[in-house]
Amino acid sequence: MKKKENYWYLSILSILAFIFIWWLFCDVLKMTKESTLPGPIKVMETFIKKLSSTAPDGATLIEHIGSSLKISMGGWAMGVVIGTPLGICMAWYKKIDLFVRPVFDLIRPVPGLAWIPLMIILFGIGLTSKIVTVFLSAFVPCVLNSYTGIRQTKDVHLWVGQTFGASNFQMLINIAVPTALPLVMTGVRVALGASWTCIVAAEMLASTKGLGYMIQQARGIFRPDIIICGMIAIGVIGALFSWLLSLIENRIVRGAKHI
Amino acid sequence: MKNRFKDAASYEKMICAGISILGFLCLWQLVVSFTAVGELLSGPLIVLSKFVTSIAEPIGTYTIQLHIFWSLSRVMIGFALGSAVGIVVGILMGWFKIIDAIVRPLFEIIRPIPPIAWIPLSILWFGLGEGSKYFLIFYAAFCGITMNAYSGVKSVDPVLIGAAKMLGANNRQVFTTIVLPSCIPHIFAGLQIAIGTSWATVVAAEMVRSTEGVGWMIIKGQDSNSTVQILVGIVAIGIVGYILAVSMRAIEAKLCVWRVRGK
Repeated sequence: MKKKENYWYLSILSILAFIFIWWLFCDVLKMTKESTLPGPIKVMETFIKKLSSTAPDGATLIEHIGSSLKISMGGWAMGVVIGTPLGICMAWYKKIDLFVRPVFDLIRPVPGLAWIPLMIILFGIGLTSKIVTVFLSAFVPCVLNSYTGIRQTKDVHLWVGQTFGASNFQMLINIAVPTALPLVMTGVRVALGASWTCIVAAEMLASTKGLGYMIQQARGIFRPDIIICGMIAIGVIGALFSWLLSLIENRIVRGAKHI
Repeated sequence: MKNRFKDAASYEKMICAGISILGFLCLWQLVVSFTAVGELLSGPLIVLSKFVTSIAEPIGTYTIQLHIFWSLSRVMIGFALGSAVGIVVGILMGWFKIIDAIVRPLFEIIRPIPPIAWIPLSILWFGLGEGSKYFLIFYAAFCGITMNAYSGVKSVDPVLIGAAKMLGANNRQVFTTIVLPSCIPHIFAGLQIAIGTSWATVVAAEMVRSTEGVGWMIIKGQDSNSTVQILVGIVAIGIVGYILAVSMRAIEAKLCVWRVRGK
C-alpha cells in the first residue's frame, strides 16, 4: 500500500499560482482587454464597491443576492413540501401511481428553464412566474427521489411489520419513510441546486433585480468585472447551501450513510 | 401481501396511463375552452396540430426538425469535447495524488458555478455565435463527468488492488485492468447526468442569445405572445430530452453488461 502522503501545500500553491498567472497576464503584461477579462485586483475592487454602490444596475450586490434568494427559496420550499409527499404517495399507493405517474412522466423530461417563457406569459414578469418556474424545477427531483427511496424498502421489513400487526399507514411511517430518508434528502439537495440554477436563468431573461439580472446587464455594458463578481457570488452561495444541507442531512439521517 | 412493489400488469398500466393522460388533456382543453385562461393559453389540439404542421411549415427561418437539429449539433459537439476532457482529467486526478493536489482546488472553485451563470461571460469571450454555446456545453459536461470519473477511481475496492499487487502486477497493469473497468459505471452515471444538464444549458443559452434552435423557438414565442409556439417548443424539448436519456441508458446497457446501475 502507498504511504499516506500529504500534498496540502501543493493545493495552496496551485490556487496562488492561478491567481498570480491571472494577475500577471491581465495587470502586468496587459495581454487582455479590460472589456474581456479584467485582472483579479480590478475584480476585488469592483466586488467591494458593489457591496454599497447601486451603479450601474440600480441595486447593491446584497440586494441582488437577497432578491434571488427570496424567490429561489420560496419556489424550492414549495417544491419540497408538495413534491416529497407526492413521491411517497405515488410509491406507496398503487392507485395513485397508476394514474399520476403517466402525467408526471410527461412533464419530467422538460428542463425547468424551458417553462420560463410560458410562465412569463401566464403570470407576468413579476414574482409569481419565477416562483412557479423554480417550483417546477425543484418539484421533479423531489418526487423522483422520494419515489425511488420508498421503492427500496425491503419486503422482509414490511412482513415483520405485518406480523406485529402494523396497519398500512403505520408501515409507511415507521418502515418505508425511514428507509427512504437518505434518498429523500438527496432529492432535496438536488432540488436546491436546480432551483438556484433556474432562478439565475429566469432573472437573465426577465427581471429587474437579482444576480442573473446583474450579470446579464453587465454583459450589455461590457463590464466583465461585475459578471465575475456575480458568478463568484452565485458559486459561493450554491456551495454554502449544499454544505448546510449536508449538515442537516447528517443530523436527520441516522443509520445507513448514503453512498 | 406477498410483494408490495410488484408492478401492475402491463395492460392494466397501459389502460390507466391512457385514462390519466387523456383526462389531463381533456381538462386542459376544457379549461382553455370555457374559462378566461383560454385568452392566454392555447389548447392541446391546437398545439398538436401546430406541432405537426411545423414539420413542413417553418417557424422563423427553419422547420422544427432543423431547429432540433441545430440544438442537438451544439449539444453533441460540446458534450463530446467536454466528456472526453472530463474523463481524462477525472481519472488522472483520481490516480495521481500530485495532480489531485494541484488541479482539484481549482476545479472545486469553478464547480459550484452553474453553467448558466457563464452565459454572459462566454458571450463576451466567444461572441454571439456558436463558440459561446460550445463553450457552455463543454463546461456543463466537463464538470459533471470529471467529478464522477474522479469518485469512480477513488471508490475502487482496495482489496482488488492489493490482490493484484500481491500477484505481481505493476502500477500500469493495476490501472488498466482494475481501475479503468471498475470506474466505467461511475463514468456512465456522469455521462447520464451531463447529457441532461447539457440539454438544459443549450436551451438556456439559446433563450438568451441565438437565431435558431429550440430555445430560440420558445423565447420568440414569448416575444410574439404565442403560447402555441412556446408549447410546441416545450414538447420538442421534452421529447428530445427523453430520447437522449433513453439512448444514453441503452448505450450503457450495451457497453457495460456486467453492471447496469439502478433498474
